[in-house]
Amino acid sequence: MLKSKTFVKKTRAGGVLKIVREHYLRDDIWCGSEVCKECKDEAPVLQEDACIESNLCSYPHYLIPDTNVLLHQIDILEHTLIRNVIILQTVLQEVRHRSAPVYKRIKDAIHEKEKHFYTFTNEHHRETFIEREPGESANDRNDRAIRVAAKWYADHLTKNTNGGSLKVVLLTDDRANKEKAEQYGLTVYRCEEYIKSLIGNPELVDRLALKPDDQNEIIGSKLLFPEHLPLSRIQSGIKNGGLLQGTFHANRDNYLEGTVFINREGEDINEVLLQGLQNLNRAVHQDVVAVELFPKERWVAPSSVVLQDDSPNDEDAEEDETENKLKGVPPDSSVLKPTGRVVGVIKRNWRPYCGMLSQSMIKEATRHLFTPADRRIPRIRIETRQAANLAGQRIMVAIDGWPKNSRYPNGHFVKNLGTAGDKETETEVLLLEHDVPHLPFSPAVLSFLPKMPWSITEEDMKVRADLRHLCVCSVDPPGCTDIDDALHCRELENGNLEVGVHIADVSHFIRPGNALDQEAASRGTTVYLCGKRIDMVPELLSSNLCSLRSNVERLAFSCIWEMNHNAEIIKTRFTKSVINSKASLTYAEAQMKIDDTTMNDDITKSLRGLNRLAKILKGRRTEKGALTLSSPEVRFHIDSETHDPIDLQTKELKETNSMVEEFMLLANISVAQKIYDEFSECALLRKHPSPPPSNYDILIKAAKSKDLDIHTDSAKALADSLNNATVRNFPYFNTLLRILATRCMMQAVYFCSGMDSDFHHYGLASPIYTHFTSPIRRYADIIVHRLLAVAINADSTYPELMDKHKQSSLCNNLNYRHKMAQYAQRASVAFHTQLFFKNKGIINEEGFILFVRKNAIIILIPKFGMEGTVFFENKDKPSPRLKFDSEGPTLEVEEHTFHMFDKVKVTISVDASNIQHQRIRMALIEPVIPGVSVPVPESEPVAKKAKLDC
Amino acid sequence: MASVEMRLPAVHKPVSPAASQSNRDDKHLVVPGDVITSDTGFMRGHGTYMDEDRLTASVAGEVERVNKLICVRPLKTRYNGEVGDVVIGRITEVQQKRWKVETNSRLDSVLLLSSVNLPGGELRRRSAQDELAMRDYLQEGDLISAEVQSIFSDGALSLHTRSLKYGKLGQGVLVLVSPSIVKRQKTHFHNLPCGASIILGNNGYVWLYPTPGHQDEEAGGYYTSMEPVSLADREVISRLRNCLLALAAHKVLLYDTSVLYCYEASLTHQIKDILKPEIMEEIILETRQRLVEHEG
Amino acid sequence: MAGLELLSDQGYRLDGRKATELRKVQARTSVFAQADGSAYLEQGNTKALAVVYGPHETRGSRSKSLHDRAVINCQFSMATFSTAERKRRPHGDRKSSEMSLHLKQTFEAAVLTELYPRSQIDIYVKILQADGGNYSACVNAATLALVDAGIPMRDYVCACTAGFVEDTPLADLCHAEESGGGTSLALALLPRSGNIALLQMDARLHQDHLDALIEAAMTACKGLSKVLDDVVRQHLEEVSVLTRD
Repeated sequence: MLKSKTFVKKTRAGGVLKIVREHYLRDDIWCGSEVCKECKDEAPVLQEDACIESNLCSYPHYLIPDTNVLLHQIDILEHTLIRNVIILQTVLQEVRHRSAPVYKRIKDAIHEKEKHFYTFTNEHHRETFIEREPGESANDRNDRAIRVAAKWYADHLTKNTNGGSLKVVLLTDDRANKEKAEQYGLTVYRCEEYIKSLIGNPELVDRLALKPDDQNEIIGSKLLFPEHLPLSRIQSGIKNGGLLQGTFHANRDNYLEGTVFINREGEDINEVLLQGLQNLNRAVHQDVVAVELFPKERWVAPSSVVLQDDSPNDEDAEEDETENKLKGVPPDSSVLKPTGRVVGVIKRNWRPYCGMLSQSMIKEATRHLFTPADRRIPRIRIETRQAANLAGQRIMVAIDGWPKNSRYPNGHFVKNLGTAGDKETETEVLLLEHDVPHLPFSPAVLSFLPKMPWSITEEDMKVRADLRHLCVCSVDPPGCTDIDDALHCRELENGNLEVGVHIADVSHFIRPGNALDQEAASRGTTVYLCGKRIDMVPELLSSNLCSLRSNVERLAFSCIWEMNHNAEIIKTRFTKSVINSKASLTYAEAQMKIDDTTMNDDITKSLRGLNRLAKILKGRRTEKGALTLSSPEVRFHIDSETHDPIDLQTKELKETNSMVEEFMLLANISVAQKIYDEFSECALLRKHPSPPPSNYDILIKAAKSKDLDIHTDSAKALADSLNNATVRNFPYFNTLLRILATRCMMQAVYFCSGMDSDFHHYGLASPIYTHFTSPIRRYADIIVHRLLAVAINADSTYPELMDKHKQSSLCNNLNYRHKMAQYAQRASVAFHTQLFFKNKGIINEEGFILFVRKNAIIILIPKFGMEGTVFFENKDKPSPRLKFDSEGPTLEVEEHTFHMFDKVKVTISVDASNIQHQRIRMALIEPVIPGVSVPVPESEPVAKKAKLDC
Repeated sequence: MASVEMRLPAVHKPVSPAASQSNRDDKHLVVPGDVITSDTGFMRGHGTYMDEDRLTASVAGEVERVNKLICVRPLKTRYNGEVGDVVIGRITEVQQKRWKVETNSRLDSVLLLSSVNLPGGELRRRSAQDELAMRDYLQEGDLISAEVQSIFSDGALSLHTRSLKYGKLGQGVLVLVSPSIVKRQKTHFHNLPCGASIILGNNGYVWLYPTPGHQDEEAGGYYTSMEPVSLADREVISRLRNCLLALAAHKVLLYDTSVLYCYEASLTHQIKDILKPEIMEEIILETRQRLVEHEG
Repeated sequence: MAGLELLSDQGYRLDGRKATELRKVQARTSVFAQADGSAYLEQGNTKALAVVYGPHETRGSRSKSLHDRAVINCQFSMATFSTAERKRRPHGDRKSSEMSLHLKQTFEAAVLTELYPRSQIDIYVKILQADGGNYSACVNAATLALVDAGIPMRDYVCACTAGFVEDTPLADLCHAEESGGGTSLALALLPRSGNIALLQMDARLHQDHLDALIEAAMTACKGLSKVLDDVVRQHLEEVSVLTRD
């Protein structure tokens, strides 16, 4: 089988190392075509009638793209129209080295059966392998390899179809390569040429990426940006410490500012501030860049100006003005940060961006600016002929490049998502922007669901504790269909109490490694948006089989404690069980039962017992320094027909909420301890690191302004001082403080116990913590269930579970998904808030100043739990006199000084003037500052959408 | 300046399939782990072991069957001594009442003080005096010729030199070959007509020396002549040595005739050229032909 | 820069082999006239030279010799030029000593040492070029040398490495694959009986994968034993043709 000639490939790495590798050539690599009789391929990929209708090639043909075509035109290749493509190994390898995202996408395309993409391992094929000739560059060799392979295919197919019509078409944009290929007798086209020839698919042309030689026409000759350094110099610069490498984060509020996070250990500087377009030098959010530090005297403080790039056209001249504005801000002497400039981009992290088209002023123009939804992404110049159709639509655009003489990066159109402002479209946009997998579950995934009708089998009963007789009930928010926890409490004969937390046994249904499991692992969490839920597991499980609904038998994983009346745990037991919930209550219902002294049934007794214990547990936890923080949570009342929000209210917390929460915490802690004891290397835990002291600065300053001291040396001190921080006649002050405190906190994260040593959960003041109680909506819980099941010998283990590296990469994904889910949730709330205010028109509300910025104040409106910004600068009007004091921090506007926590009155409206970016506008009513504040609107909301000039 | 000849290793020539085919018919070749027979009626000999009632080869070689006894004779092995064999060995150690002799077998052989002729051929019990004088007779590094007297239970050989033809070796050349290519013969001492003598030790050690002019009986085997050897003799010995190596390389059995034929065949070439592969091949081919003619 | 892709989606490895395929093995026995047995073996770019002396009288301290069987003495060394970066000393470092010990243990399992009481068998192996699977190349070369020396063995000892990449066991790893992370398991097998003479693995592996990995290594060993067998038989025939009389 292995008919190999040993070829020796020499590569030189580093200094004097000579690496010799074997390179086997085979003659059992098949061409992958259906027509071929000679190749003994079992499942040929390429079709016999490979027809893409084209003016250029009317015959059936296979496409062979070269590396650059693949790299730049991946959007086209992904289109369903393009099928029967041969991806050469040479091409694939080059792509792999040059762009990980494109590599992943092409691999996905190859895996898709419908696409008929075939990978031909030409480098190991006896007849297509070529050696690099002396004096030939690596690229030239690869180009030649591509030509040789294409030629081989051409001959091979001709031979095997007896001179039939099947041909191969080489796609290349390299002129020299094309010429050589033509001489060589190949059918070769430029990508653009070929795509344009395709019949009946004009939109494909828009997907074409712009090529470097086209760009000269687009932009003026003025060089706007300094040249990037070549990679070799960057690398040596990083090595000798002259340059720093880091990930670029654009500032959300100020497009002229960004931060580079240096992710190297042992550096004194881990953040470098960048200011101004020149210094940002074409870095796009998330790029890995090399930065050069300025000398200390050129360091600046981050400006707290809010600046948005919304100049209406793409003329480059106007920019200077804004730049000056930035420079006009007097340097703040106290908090200078290391400042620098980008000298090169090491790795672009571009992805397709959602956003809208800003149409060019000229009607017939084909070049337009695209404004991404994410404010950290610069606007992108694209070329399209369907601008008229795309106006008012949400579209997706990919960046192709950013030449040094262009103000904006160049890109191309990828896909139309739908009408802007449309609820579906906007939801789609925010899901895409937050990378939330939201496609329907594939048939492969669904095939692993249990067959209906499903019932508990004898075998299940044998290995499970039968707890059906217990008086178990669940307490959840109203309308909850994925009930994953239920509780019970009863008195034992010895006078102690037995408390049980029963969690849906999702791991019984989702077996490790199958498609269902993989899908759930990749989704990581269920995402709750307003009026929409993106499930982690298919609905059959989430809302039926795993949901612990009342009066049906369900499989559960139970954690049962024996406690005395002081809520001290005497014994803990974990078991897989079968339960039959007696009631599914809402928080309010449960509260009513507890409060209603006339009720004395089992459920109520059980609830009262739980409630009593929960209070003791909570007291004890608070004693240890657990924090009670606050963030305004909003609920929308959604119109049942139009699904538009008709009212919004902040979430109310009842005693029963904290009762359920308390037992969930207890279960989580018990389980965390158990799995850590059992698997010290690979337990999946959750930690919440204590924040660095500097994070609290803003909180301390804010409290000082009201003559209060906040101690932040420990969680306990913080909790206590927060409890004591109250101001008379200002009941909401404490909540505000807690909101601020929340913003000081670090993110809680999942981690694998074998990879970390700090397990502490700061917020809960627990030495160890994990997630166990919501397996329906969090994948971490499923893993914890599996670990626990192994620990109590209820299930068998599998390799990935015990591999701490795999575990840890899973944790990374889960953390990422959770973060993204949160962002998506917030974005969804924001969108619905807009919808709400759009319907309501201008309203007049009371709020508090949460932050003070240089040219704006940020206001929280408790009634809606909503934040908004009031700007004091405006393009159209002369700016009022502003004086910012960072110590307070306070902002003096004309005569009035704004402090934090000041009560103000504002109007709220939706600024629909700019349909691309609708946003909530706030305008000051009280205190009245002439020229700044606006008059109180008429009590009757204006029906038409008022446009405020603020 | 002497010119140095250098060459690259020649391509390994495979044996023609026809030759190996014919070979397969009359020889039963096995490799370690090969089952020779599962029949329990056979006796286990050298080079075999029992693996769960199956008689299995433990070495690579040819199966030899003597009635019920099955042995496997490996191609190449250390010397397995038999009583009466002539061996050549080197003294490695002088112990009380005995010498240790390295004879290419798996344990050093023993030459007891009582198994040697005393100088002058005296016949008496060995005394303590003799023990003290042992190193005067034979010391470490000396080469001797001897005969296998008996074999100890652990496989070590006991030698004797109780004949005037055995004893300490003087000037000459030692050639080491594989024991398996030394043919067993009535005599292993030959005075070759070409002017030198040869002792073909059964243990694969071959001793080439100038034919002594007169037998010095009085020396009793301990006398070594220090007289210079003539150039002619040295040339003959050198040529013989190279011939022996050539024969060994081509696995031709060594005995007086084969050595002599080879010597004669080599006469057309210079001594130093004999070991060049192509010349070696030519000489050996001629030797083989003559041997076949001789036998036929 | 992305790391090396050890196994492509099409099932080809870096050097073009499939997961279960071995590298090209070439070997020759009787490469030295002086030694009792010798062999030279190439497993891809890994080249090993093995020399066997013995059985012979125990040299050096007499106390080492055993009254009921032979002592096997192994010495492993690597030529200074065998690796990409020149080695300081060819033998005697910790890794070499460990390797020597492993070889000794391997061959004590296979050689019928009880036939040679008070004797010693020396096995010297040298790696001339290292490209992964040093241990296995040494074992295979030493086996050939032992056969060449006519030392009785229960069976050949064949060794091969196997690694685990993307849930697929790979047979006979080359250097790039060994250093590319992942598990590497070295296994020495007596192919006919299926007895394992030595099994060594440094990295962590879940036990569920172990069987598959051992299975892959064993299959590879059996493949190798065929190659060694051919080499030995070829040599045997050549010699017996010559000595036919």
